[in-house]
Amino acid sequence: MAQHTAPQQKVDLGPGFWPVTIGLSIFNLIASYFIATTDLATYLPAAAAPAGEIDGLIKFMAVFGNAIFVYVTGFIIYFAIVWRRRASDAPDSIGIQVHDSPKLEIWWTAVPLVLMIALGVLSVKVWANLQSQSGDVLTMESIGHQFKYEFRYPKLKNSIYDEMHVPVGTPVALHVTSADVIHSFWVPQIRVKYDMVPGLVQTIRFTPNKTGTYPVICTEFCGTNHSNMAAKMVIDTPRDFNTWLTKQAQIQASGGGPVALTGGNAATGATLFSAKCASCHNANGGYEAKIVGPGLGKLASDPTHPMLVTGEKPDAAGISHILINGYQGPDKSQGKEGPSAGAMPNKAANALSNTDISNLTAYLLSLSAKKS
Amino acid sequence: MAIATAGHIGVASHHDHIHPEPQSFIGKYIFSIDAKVIGIQYMVVGLLFFIVSGLLAEIVRAQLLTPTGAIVSNDTYNGVYSLHASGMIWMTIIPLVTGGFGNYVMPLMLGQRDVAFPWLNLVAFWMFPVAGVLLFGSFLVGAPDAGWTEYPPISLQGPPGTSLWCVAIFLVGISSSLTGINFLVTIFKMRAPGMTFTRMPLFVWAQMATAMLNMIATTALAAALAALFLERQFDIPFYDPGRGGSPVLWQHMFWFYSHPAVYIMILPAFGIVSEVFATFSRKPIFGYKMIAFSSIAIALLGFMVWAHHMFTSGMAPWLQLPFMILTMVVAVPTGVKIFSWLATLWGGKIEFHPAMLFSLGFLIVFTFGGITGVFLSSVPADLYFHGTYFVVAHIHYVLFGGSIFGIYAGVYYWWPKMTGRMMSYKLGVAHFWATFVAFNITFLPMHWVGLQGMPRRVAQYRPEFQFWNDVESIGSFILAGSTLIFLYAIAESMLKGKKAPANPWGARTLEWQVSSPPPYYNFKKIPAVLTNPYDFGEPLPYVGLVRDASNPEHPSTGRASSGTPAHA
Repeated sequence: MAQHTAPQQKVDLGPGFWPVTIGLSIFNLIASYFIATTDLATYLPAAAAPAGEIDGLIKFMAVFGNAIFVYVTGFIIYFAIVWRRRASDAPDSIGIQVHDSPKLEIWWTAVPLVLMIALGVLSVKVWANLQSQSGDVLTMESIGHQFKYEFRYPKLKNSIYDEMHVPVGTPVALHVTSADVIHSFWVPQIRVKYDMVPGLVQTIRFTPNKTGTYPVICTEFCGTNHSNMAAKMVIDTPRDFNTWLTKQAQIQASGGGPVALTGGNAATGATLFSAKCASCHNANGGYEAKIVGPGLGKLASDPTHPMLVTGEKPDAAGISHILINGYQGPDKSQGKEGPSAGAMPNKAANALSNTDISNLTAYLLSLSAKKS
Repeated sequence: MAIATAGHIGVASHHDHIHPEPQSFIGKYIFSIDAKVIGIQYMVVGLLFFIVSGLLAEIVRAQLLTPTGAIVSNDTYNGVYSLHASGMIWMTIIPLVTGGFGNYVMPLMLGQRDVAFPWLNLVAFWMFPVAGVLLFGSFLVGAPDAGWTEYPPISLQGPPGTSLWCVAIFLVGISSSLTGINFLVTIFKMRAPGMTFTRMPLFVWAQMATAMLNMIATTALAAALAALFLERQFDIPFYDPGRGGSPVLWQHMFWFYSHPAVYIMILPAFGIVSEVFATFSRKPIFGYKMIAFSSIAIALLGFMVWAHHMFTSGMAPWLQLPFMILTMVVAVPTGVKIFSWLATLWGGKIEFHPAMLFSLGFLIVFTFGGITGVFLSSVPADLYFHGTYFVVAHIHYVLFGGSIFGIYAGVYYWWPKMTGRMMSYKLGVAHFWATFVAFNITFLPMHWVGLQGMPRRVAQYRPEFQFWNDVESIGSFILAGSTLIFLYAIAESMLKGKKAPANPWGARTLEWQVSSPPPYYNFKKIPAVLTNPYDFGEPLPYVGLVRDASNPEHPSTGRASSGTPAHA
């Protein structure tokens, strides 16, 4: 070991070492300037409070990450060119036999360590802000289902589905959990997401700061139709939000609220079916026994069509969704997008009440129960 | 192989005797206890599973060509990407880097004739193809569809193949654990005389750190899998929250294994490129001790960071902080390695052999993947990135750009040793450039679509992501094509490759001091080791090597004249 440590002498770093180092440094300075002065929201739209802070953190990491990557890649390419074996080299020529340099090694241990400490401190600061909220907080809940989102507001008696509203400027504490498997609640414009875990409640805290409509996305695999599990988050002005909330309360008070998913009367449903549905749907055969629409006799027990045409599970919720909204679009009953499923009229067109829908749902489910 | 029978004569000295080589086909190639044969068996089976898993990836990319992705049904798609990941991780990378290279190269590097427990080695190997058949066979009964992480409760609802998946991964896990024990004992108890720990080649250090991880971490996975299997088949509730179970319990146990598993996959690749950098720069590896100890540091830290995969999953928020800080600390020893390799290049006589090209490519893309890893370590940022294509991009930069590039480097480096034949230099160079370019086309845009809001594990996506998804898919088709070059190069070498000399690269570690391929017993006489193996220009630090015509002493300073790769 000892005989290899050469006496202290000026090391020739090789042709062009300093110009290359200076060139890479200038490049990094310019790149850092651009990263630091770019508003990430230009490219990745933001609509709520933690987004700005998180973007700041990302920019900090991008500045030093870029610097390290550019130095490493730059030196690899430069060394590979300058220190390549040349045709003129003797076959047994060897490289410069250096083993280590404690000074250098201390530097390249210390500098990343300092950067990591800085990143740690910054991250903890942002993290602490994510945990706290002050002022008049809107507390609400979202519950994940296969494959939809349920939302609960303190001022509404019943849940609403697929679309949530929040007022701009008011801090929101959104408690999330799940009714079946693990889902996740993510609005890219808020940045922060948490998983919706059955048996566990987590809280997403944010303050909307830009009105608009944003996608709610499930990022945790939750089953066949995971890809299409989505909802909308509408950020309203406080006035619009109050109008919306009042309207929802009125709808619910007038019985126009959510349909009861249990307790329907199958016998009443059967009568209603022959009056309103039987002209298009066969109640005895399976999916293939089409009249106009698919046969419904094995709606919840058909292995070749495990899903509804909407891609939802053939349970009370999924069935009532079609009865409420009607359906036009691709047939997803086989777990993928098939040809068009035709046109099923909605609740208004069929003149169905909520009780009618509960009864029809109970009847349709009883058909499958009998067959299986 | 005339010497084979002569081995019996040496039985008198029980410390140093040579068993006869088995003569039957089955004893020689199927149920062999020779670590070299077992190593090649791992490589062949691993290559097979690599091709299958790679084809599954191409189905995924074909599906994602259009936003509505109507090539396969959602359920099939979910099975395809789940088996792509499971196959690549457990049936390809882990067996190749530990069982494959570890078995073939490590005993040779230690100056030994075999690993400590050859029969255990045989058993461990045969669990692997059985597990692979079970895993891919699950397609017949309904493939597991909840991703390679198989989080309950969704995995409890999964098709019957999910239980087969449990059994397959359990088996291959036991196999890795046994290999871990075997390698650890080999390294601690069976080094050539004079080979102190700090004289071991860096590949052996990497295998040592990996073996520790394999031996300890895999047990947690085995327990988690057993519980999942019991819950699925016998309805014993471990993970069902409705009956007092916890879905998060699975995640803790799964990641307690699967985070170390990331290092199981990358540390041996670190070892491979360390050997390649030294040999093709014709320089001692810079900061030998720092590289060696940082492997151990990474392995130890690897046990303390698992919950960084679970920042969104549900744990006390304060608990996120220690996991975040410890994860950031991992960047320090990893940085030490990267900078040390960079310094190894400085002042070298760099030769652009395909193994070296893949190692240089590794250094670039792995650095990139390491940096995005730091991005993911910061809790607030991870709450943004988690579950998106950003994570998919990161994992491919470290596992493809890291482990697979490392494996390619290892194949080009040790191929002449393993087969006794040279591989085409030109095809190797073409393979590297096609792979390197296609790799970046495929995986770089994934960072961006992830940030924009594309979640992972989707069969359909919003139309605005189509452009970059098409770019990624086209990149992946080129990537598949580049693999064909590799397969062609292998076939060409086996059919008409030039005979390889003992030491075509003029390398200094012990495996190059025996003929190519090495004889059954590796070393007729166990050599003694005087110092570390990387001092180019010095005489070789070994005493007692038996040389003959197939294994001549070569000028230890430079390349052997017979192996000039430039025209090979």
